[in-house]
Amino acid sequence: MTDELLVVRAQLGERAAVAELVARWRIPVWTYVRRMLDAERADDVSQEVWLAVVRGLPRLREPDRFAPWLFTIARRSVADRLRSEYASEKEGFAASDAVAEDPVGAMVDRAEMVSVLSGLPVLEREILVLFYLEDLSVEDCAQICQVPAGTVKSRLNRARRMLRTHLEEKGFRP
Amino acid sequence: MTEEPRLSAQEMIEQLEPSFSLKRRIRAVVALSAGLAGAVFVTALWLGESGLPGRTGLAFGLFIVICLTWAGYGGWLLTRRVPLFATDQVIAAWIGLTASVATTAVVAAIAVQRGRGLALALVVGGLFVATALTLAVRAHGRRAALLRRVRELTDGDAGKPWES
Repeated sequence: MTDELLVVRAQLGERAAVAELVARWRIPVWTYVRRMLDAERADDVSQEVWLAVVRGLPRLREPDRFAPWLFTIARRSVADRLRSEYASEKEGFAASDAVAEDPVGAMVDRAEMVSVLSGLPVLEREILVLFYLEDLSVEDCAQICQVPAGTVKSRLNRARRMLRTHLEEKGFRP
Repeated sequence: MTEEPRLSAQEMIEQLEPSFSLKRRIRAVVALSAGLAGAVFVTALWLGESGLPGRTGLAFGLFIVICLTWAGYGGWLLTRRVPLFATDQVIAAWIGLTASVATTAVVAAIAVQRGRGLALALVVGGLFVATALTLAVRAHGRRAALLRRVRELTDGDAGKPWES
């Protein structure tokens, strides 16, 4: 059964469809949140995300765009949490983007990437998680992060370059 | 990576249960409908009485504020706390329509009994009924559209048995 069919059934009020959506997307949402926050906060924020999803579901106008909508909510919840905890820090979702031309490194293995992700800045970590771990398209990432597709590409390039540097520092070689 | 979320899917769904509570949704719809209906009713009574002492006027004002507070609480619940899915919206719209018609009828009956204010009662009541009717039509339309989409998607799936 497609996500769209599940979403439409959920919008009609079928609780089984909501339960199926939760079962299907619980781990991807948690994985995204966990890569952005520590384990304890990831559980709390994941719950907040699902609460917001259930409350917002009746108003979702494009059921076929469920995944980008879901990660937009997850991103907002993570941003709110980070903002409240690091209000004084300049680093965050509003940081500027410099274009970097360094297409990389498909050599990076998923597990290795996960282990070094925590060392990357928020914006770069986020785009790698959405693009590689959640397998979302550049267009979906752009919608979720509310930036143009070109910015997503440049952010990805910069993130991959930083990731490669981190991996090399840890002794990994392509 | 072996790390996993602390809550299982079942536990997560249980955490979401309050949002699906039928009691909570009924409470929200009833608070909104009764609050608005009460406010209209008390306002009609107040306007129908002339030369009331100041304290009585104050009491009417307080009643109206209380009714509007309940209506506000119901509206807040519906927009912020309890999701109204398409089927719920149809039921809520009919509750709203029933409350609007009943309030209009009662207020109009009082106006007829007193021999004045019938036009105002009908105009205000008609406004409420028209709004409730519009919401009911929209709710039915939205539900019908979703049901149609379910049929299209289900037929699409049935036509592609090789896909899971």
